[in-house]
Amino acid sequence: MSLLEVDAINTFYGEAHALFDVSMRIEPHEVVALLGRNGAGKTTTLKTMMGVMAPKSGAIRFNGAPIGGLPPYKIARLGLQLVPEERRIIGGLTVEENIVLAGLSEPKPWPPQRVYDMFPRLGERRRSRGRELSGGEQQMLAIARALVREPQLILLDEPFEGLAPLIVQDLLGICRRLADEGRTIVIVEQNVEAALSLAQRCYILNNGHVVYEGTPGDLRGDPDFMHRHLGI
Amino acid sequence: MFNGLTLGALLVLVAMGLTIIFGTLGVVNFAHGALYAVGAYAGFVTYEYTGSFVAAMAAGAIFLLVVGVVIERGLIRLYYQRPPEDQILVTFGITIVLVEAIRAVFGGLARNIPAPSWAAGIVNLRVTLYPTYRIDVLAIVGVSLVLLYLVLYRTRLGLIVRAGIEDQLMVNILGINVTRTFLTVFGLGAMAAGFAGVINAPIVTVTPDMGADILVQSFVVVVIGGVGSFWGAVVGGLIAGEILSLTAMIQPAYSQVMLFAVMALVLILRPQGLFGVEGRQ
Amino acid sequence: MTALAARPAALARRFAPEIALIGVLAVLPAILPHIGGTYDIANRILDWGLFGLGFDLLFGFTGLLSFGQAAFYGAGGFVAAYVLIAPFTNNAVVALIAGTIAAAIFGVVIGYLSLRRTGIYFAMLTLAFGEMFFFLDISPLAQWTGGENGVAGVPEPHLGFGIFSIDINDPSGLYWLLVVIFVVGFWFARRIVASPFGAVLRAIRENGARVAAVGHDVPKYKLTVFVIAAAYAGLAGGLLGLLQGYMPPDAFYLDTSGQLVVQTIIGGAGTLIGPLVGAAVWLYLYTLLQNIAGIGALWKMILGIIFVLLVTIFRRGLCGGAVVLWRRLFARPAPVSASVAASVEPTRAAPEPRRSAQRPPPTGPVVLATRNLTKRYGGLTAVDDVSFELREGEIRAVIGPNGAGKSTFFNMLANVIPPTSGTIEFKGDNITGLGATLVCQRGISKSFQINQIFPSLTVRDNLRIAVLARAYGKFRPAMLRAVDRDGTINAGIEAAAASVQLAERLDTPAAELAYGEKRRLEIGLALATRPQILLLDEPTAGMSPAERVDTVRLLRRIASGVTIVIVEHDMDVVFGLADRITVLFNGHKIAEDTPDAIQANPDVRAAYLGSQAAHEPA
Repeated sequence: MSLLEVDAINTFYGEAHALFDVSMRIEPHEVVALLGRNGAGKTTTLKTMMGVMAPKSGAIRFNGAPIGGLPPYKIARLGLQLVPEERRIIGGLTVEENIVLAGLSEPKPWPPQRVYDMFPRLGERRRSRGRELSGGEQQMLAIARALVREPQLILLDEPFEGLAPLIVQDLLGICRRLADEGRTIVIVEQNVEAALSLAQRCYILNNGHVVYEGTPGDLRGDPDFMHRHLGI
Repeated sequence: MFNGLTLGALLVLVAMGLTIIFGTLGVVNFAHGALYAVGAYAGFVTYEYTGSFVAAMAAGAIFLLVVGVVIERGLIRLYYQRPPEDQILVTFGITIVLVEAIRAVFGGLARNIPAPSWAAGIVNLRVTLYPTYRIDVLAIVGVSLVLLYLVLYRTRLGLIVRAGIEDQLMVNILGINVTRTFLTVFGLGAMAAGFAGVINAPIVTVTPDMGADILVQSFVVVVIGGVGSFWGAVVGGLIAGEILSLTAMIQPAYSQVMLFAVMALVLILRPQGLFGVEGRQ
Repeated sequence: MTALAARPAALARRFAPEIALIGVLAVLPAILPHIGGTYDIANRILDWGLFGLGFDLLFGFTGLLSFGQAAFYGAGGFVAAYVLIAPFTNNAVVALIAGTIAAAIFGVVIGYLSLRRTGIYFAMLTLAFGEMFFFLDISPLAQWTGGENGVAGVPEPHLGFGIFSIDINDPSGLYWLLVVIFVVGFWFARRIVASPFGAVLRAIRENGARVAAVGHDVPKYKLTVFVIAAAYAGLAGGLLGLLQGYMPPDAFYLDTSGQLVVQTIIGGAGTLIGPLVGAAVWLYLYTLLQNIAGIGALWKMILGIIFVLLVTIFRRGLCGGAVVLWRRLFARPAPVSASVAASVEPTRAAPEPRRSAQRPPPTGPVVLATRNLTKRYGGLTAVDDVSFELREGEIRAVIGPNGAGKSTFFNMLANVIPPTSGTIEFKGDNITGLGATLVCQRGISKSFQINQIFPSLTVRDNLRIAVLARAYGKFRPAMLRAVDRDGTINAGIEAAAASVQLAERLDTPAAELAYGEKRRLEIGLALATRPQILLLDEPTAGMSPAERVDTVRLLRRIASGVTIVIVEHDMDVVFGLADRITVLFNGHKIAEDTPDAIQANPDVRAAYLGSQAAHEPA
């Protein structure tokens, strides 16, 4: 049984049809990259998995149990965790408060110290407010907020967006470490090279349709296809 | 000066409920004044039966917590997705029903809760003589504000509320049932209003319409201080209290008018209020 | 006279509501005694109804919920009463006019302050200012207003001058006076509603930001209707003093404003006659329930419960409900909308040949230019020092990966957001900081990524708002002209509808359109202002592949007359349309060239595939 099965879902923004019969499977302990151009439906797919948007048709199963249409907080308690686009740190709360907040509904959350061991930078800034952090620190905090909940599946939406190359390298290292620990991750990223370097498998979306499923190696072997669906 | 402080402190308490409910739920509660009146009457009844002012304060707060929860579950939750005009209309309707229910039960006559025995009498403050109760009110409100502050800044609930004011969806994504928090917040806001109703009862007379003035004044407080801000409510309330009482000493006829003039001024110079952040949802 | 008499049927149709109203009000005195009513109650109902006409224009039509109308009711009443008592005149008409004008002047001041904020703030502010008037009345001005006692001894109305004067000295006389005033007031309100001014008001209720974006001065429209509502309130207040022979301070009560709101909702907001019906229900229930033992004291609570229920489950109120019922029973069912949703094709239709391949590069004069345009949000620089020139007749696409700063740049072009530094020039004039309304009036119009249409208005009325902005300028209070009698406007609407292929759907409410049609209406709204430059924000967002191909064709046709800037994710659309492409990445302009050259540009390819090092800014 796959950890997450997405079965022919259709999602709409109001009346705008965003996802057309999208299906995918995520197996335990794998990293899957979700690629595609702007507006292809990558973020919408993650939002639908997390329950932020409800699919109009189709099914989503997590550990075999249907979760399509559940509110996000219920899905989060089942062990799925979205690290959203633009990080969405609570700016008025301190780093530590953000971490505590994330653990509130989890029976055995990580203690903040465990986060600081993993991200020493956050430890130094534990009393700073979220809005005072740099982009890279905010992204670390966003990932940490997911980790304290010990989720079975982490959905990373554009973790490298708008960050300087050096910081991207740092974060890439963190993501690689998470992958090496055997965590299951779905990553959406415009930075195709970075995403492919992490993933064992990838899907490509175009205009709300899945147009490719395969390994990074196969995809790299077909530069024309890559350009058609990812470049310009 | 001291009159202003007492009045200001009460306004802070009432406006605090208003501003927390608005900040978290996005609902402007026009029924807030009516809840304040219901609180005063709950205190009045309790006092009549027990003769204890402390019991009256507790009853006012607890009864209003219940009333708040019932109103939120029964009506307000249907309105989170509706336009603000509808929210205003329904809370205004609730005001009519509550005030008329009071009138039906207690009649229109003014009632009174005497100041508690431990706070009777007059204190000599050297510069002026001052009723003890009013000083006690300052202390009581001060303590309740500290409690409220602790709840908001030192508890799990407070953490969720402060986060929820900023980004409801993210809180939800982190596994927290935000709607249940809404219920608590509405209950707490109602409780603050009811509690204020009881402690103000010995200073003013208790009538079914006593909530109207306080509602309008706390709107002014919120506009001056900035919506959704703890410190905005505190500073706005104290400013409003001082304006009312200082103008009353110099030129009694203009005290209320002056309050609105200051509000207009704030609105022109700083439309988001002293502590408000422009453009926040 | 003969010309009018020649078309009695047409006239009757035109004034049908007034005629029906006069009919009902004429026979009412005969019925009153049988239903437990009196002239006195009827007079009060008419007075509230008149008060409510203005409020309905404000709330029902424009969507501005004021809790401070008592301020104007009281102000008009006291000024009129004072004029008669002082006495400056014994003529009631003069006094009423004085009261109305005074209320309107207060309306200008309070409206100016309250309308600085919208929604809940507006309601809170009007309520607070209403209370301020009450306190002004009872103490500082008590010398003139009698404070809490009010002004007693308002004389019976004396109308006219010299030998044409009439004295009215019984309730039935007052009744007829009120009937005349109410019918005239009703006629005037109905004219406003059916005028171009009224059309703009209704659009403001639906989506004020879009009304501003097509070039209307929304604050001025709001202030005008606020003042009109204040004038109605002032007139009704003046009449209250005459009715009672006494002007009570409770005209200023918060309860008065509240009662007006409740009556309007019960009767039906947005119907004009609703407030009158609501007042009848209120005053009648009051009189009726008073006499029933046991529930006498509860009448207001019962009304409150009814009000809460109406707000919760039946917002239309009695008159709104009657209208719906009438339509359901008697109106022909609307033609079933032609099935639109073309089946979604999983594979794309063949892309059209490139436009750029068919045309020479544009060489016209520069119409729009930015110089060193920069936008910072806190520490983040969304758009960094972008200079750009657009030539007349060109189609320019702006592309870039997420977070590149496209939409920020675009919103600065349309003056929706101000730049941190740098300038925007339109035909050589600096237009930086003018705001969307003025920029649209100059000839730059924007269509939005998320539809910003007026859902409950028909396609015709949607387009009308945009056409009016071009024809009438940013503000013109055309209140007495019928909205559909201006041939040039009608022609403009039809031309705009035709250009976005909605000519068949002119009388369909926008909410009932299919998604693709709404998208076209969105473009049509921008186009109907007849811009010189059209800014299109993701025009094909959310469309099916087949609809996208159609839209590209449509845009090409439109493009023959205007200069276009387009932000779009769909590369087939971009390459199918654009003459030149500007590429933004991390807030910088990294390339600007023809589509072929852009496709071959290694920096651009890298930006899209993410080998960052190549073009990271130093």
